[in-house]
Amino acid sequence: MATWGMVIDLDRCTGCQACVMACKAENNVPSVGREEAGKGRVLSWMQVLAEPDEEHEGEVKRFIPRPCLQCDDPPCTKVCPVYATYKNPEGIVAQIYGRCIGCRFCMAACPYNAKFFNWHEYQRPTAGQNPDVSLRPKGVVEKCTFCHHRLQKAREQAAVEKRRLLPGEYNTACAEACPARAISFGDLSDPTSEVARLSRSPRVFRLLESLGTRPKVTYLTEGEGRG
Amino acid sequence: MAERLEVDELLLDPIRKTGRGFWIAFAALLGLIAWGAAAYLTQLRVGLGGTGLQQPVSWGFYVTNFVFFIGISHAGTLISAILRLSKAEWRRPVTRMAEVITCMVLLVGGGQILVDLGRPDRLLNVIQYGRYQSPLLWDATSITAYLTASTVYLYLPMIPDIAILRDNLHGKWNFLYRVLALGWTGSERQHQILNRAITIMMVMVIPIAVSVHTVVSFVFSMTLQPMWHSTIFGPYFVVGAIFSGIAALIIAMLIFRRAYRLHAYLKPIHFQYLGQLLLVMSLLWFYFTFAEYLTAYYGGEPEEMKVFWSKFTGRFRFQFWAMFTCNFVVPIVCLTRLKKNTIPRVLIASITIVIGMWLERYIIVVPSLSAPRLPFQEGSYAPTWVEWGELAGSFGLFSMFYLLFTKFFPVISIWEMKEGRHQAIGEVMERVKSYLPDTAEPATAHAGGTEVAP
Amino acid sequence: MRTPHAPPEEAPQPSPGEDRLVRFFQYAIACTPVVFIGGIIGWVTHLIRTSLRLHDVPSGAIGISLVSIPVFITLMCVLLYVLWGILNDRRVR
Repeated sequence: MATWGMVIDLDRCTGCQACVMACKAENNVPSVGREEAGKGRVLSWMQVLAEPDEEHEGEVKRFIPRPCLQCDDPPCTKVCPVYATYKNPEGIVAQIYGRCIGCRFCMAACPYNAKFFNWHEYQRPTAGQNPDVSLRPKGVVEKCTFCHHRLQKAREQAAVEKRRLLPGEYNTACAEACPARAISFGDLSDPTSEVARLSRSPRVFRLLESLGTRPKVTYLTEGEGRG
Repeated sequence: MAERLEVDELLLDPIRKTGRGFWIAFAALLGLIAWGAAAYLTQLRVGLGGTGLQQPVSWGFYVTNFVFFIGISHAGTLISAILRLSKAEWRRPVTRMAEVITCMVLLVGGGQILVDLGRPDRLLNVIQYGRYQSPLLWDATSITAYLTASTVYLYLPMIPDIAILRDNLHGKWNFLYRVLALGWTGSERQHQILNRAITIMMVMVIPIAVSVHTVVSFVFSMTLQPMWHSTIFGPYFVVGAIFSGIAALIIAMLIFRRAYRLHAYLKPIHFQYLGQLLLVMSLLWFYFTFAEYLTAYYGGEPEEMKVFWSKFTGRFRFQFWAMFTCNFVVPIVCLTRLKKNTIPRVLIASITIVIGMWLERYIIVVPSLSAPRLPFQEGSYAPTWVEWGELAGSFGLFSMFYLLFTKFFPVISIWEMKEGRHQAIGEVMERVKSYLPDTAEPATAHAGGTEVAP
Repeated sequence: MRTPHAPPEEAPQPSPGEDRLVRFFQYAIACTPVVFIGGIIGWVTHLIRTSLRLHDVPSGAIGISLVSIPVFITLMCVLLYVLWGILNDRRVR
């Protein structure tokens, strides 16, 4: 049984937001429009957080790409009243759009604000959408799924060819798109995988680690070159 | 003393006759409900985007209203039960109005969650797929228990009154009264059964009521958000609920006292006692608030301090200090020395407290969401007409339920007033005598006298 | 302030058919506690069973039902006691 995880190297991240765009394209995350964005309702499963530099006004100290942190002890799944969000056996925190009643308790509980809500009906079926990912109706919560549909496709392909899933066969859109190769994705339980190796690095840190959410998306701090 | 039937006939007047005042109130409330209905229909059509909610403030007015209305439900049954339990004789004209508040406002309070859902059509998912790890399910269970218990606790003491209606009013609603009176004849055995049941209910209802607002507070305190994850929330919310509930009860009593001319029944002494209770609750509320904010401030945890300062000096300072004034300063000023000008003092205090407690719920819900731990999504929440309309409509709906109730059932318990006149005085005398030292002389019954040992 | 009131109205005699209808509704009301509270207890049990089947924190479901089910049963018993007790006492005062 795999445990899917991600390591993001902050030393490599340039803040280009290719990961953001790739995620939106892959997962049919709609553009909400200018007016709604102005009201603070942007839908973006992957976001690049720009940490301001306190010493130098107006400058950015570092960029932090933040997908869903896919916690091992998720605060969001505890509070869902209807099993619409739960942690599956492979560690991915899943979201069932068809069951979500839109109470937004999981949004209130997530300390990383990694969950998003469809305040209006933001998307209709149009051309150019990814047919593997369902469109979300209004009134439900959505979030990063580690491109779970890609896992399903890869598994089905492997089953047809009667073989096991190869490492690297299942990759998230953001990891694939990053031009600096800052995002590594893979099976944390496979000791030979790149992700497992990086997650043992001494540069590893977790966001809000003291809360005990045990996120499976970990970060590598900048090297000695940066302050 | 006037003949008792004539005195209590006054309590049947609102049921017998409908004056112009009623229709004006009815029309006004209907207007508020219409505004609320328009707001909710808009929301059903366009989605929750019609509100001012956004990332990261995904909870706003509706959750505030939920906590607020459920809070008001506490005074009703809780006060009625506690006053009955402590054998406080001044409760007799108060209990019915209190019990009605609870039942009506629980319906409206529970409705707030329904309004808050992004997919209300999927409400049955909670029944089918509910998870007891979620505080919302604790809410569902607890509020169901409370609604059931308080409806029972309202209905049982009403049975003898409904029998009076059945026997005295022979209009078109007589059939309803006959059914609901359950064949009440006032026999010894029926009284015994009824009193036994009311006694059990009044004991049961208190822990149920405490559990209700405790689990409502757990919706917040079980998360990890700054200034929500606090152990004080359970008792804090319960105290706040009783506080706001007594204030709402006083307002309701004063409105119906004026509208139905109940000055003989609801005397200044009743408001004096309720006002003193209100003062105690205000001090208790202040104690919990002080403990909560001092703890946060002393610890100085950065993420909590962001929320703290946003309340004290930041963007929520108007609401915060208004809340403090309404919940503590005004009640202290108004509710001390209540013997003079009781009614105006108590009315002003109650109105400001109701507003202040609504603000308190708002101050709990919105600032913590507005300043999340990861400071990258900071929103400023501003409610829209949809949310104001929903608040107005909810208030209108609750008031309408209450108004309609008073049209069909007496708003003061007739049989309990009768019992007070005939039995209670004797019972109280006996009770007081039992507290005092026993003497060898036989008790001489004269009103207000005490036996002194020779 | 006393408002002048009409003398007590004459009570029209109820027909036996109406009597039966009233009795029917009264006994129906007396049966609702079982239906309503029985339904709630059934629902809580359903939630326990679901949480056991899915291995989803069954301790929560069981813990809460250990408190809530006795409370509901007590409510039901009190209600049945008082409703049937009053209904079945037909002695005239």
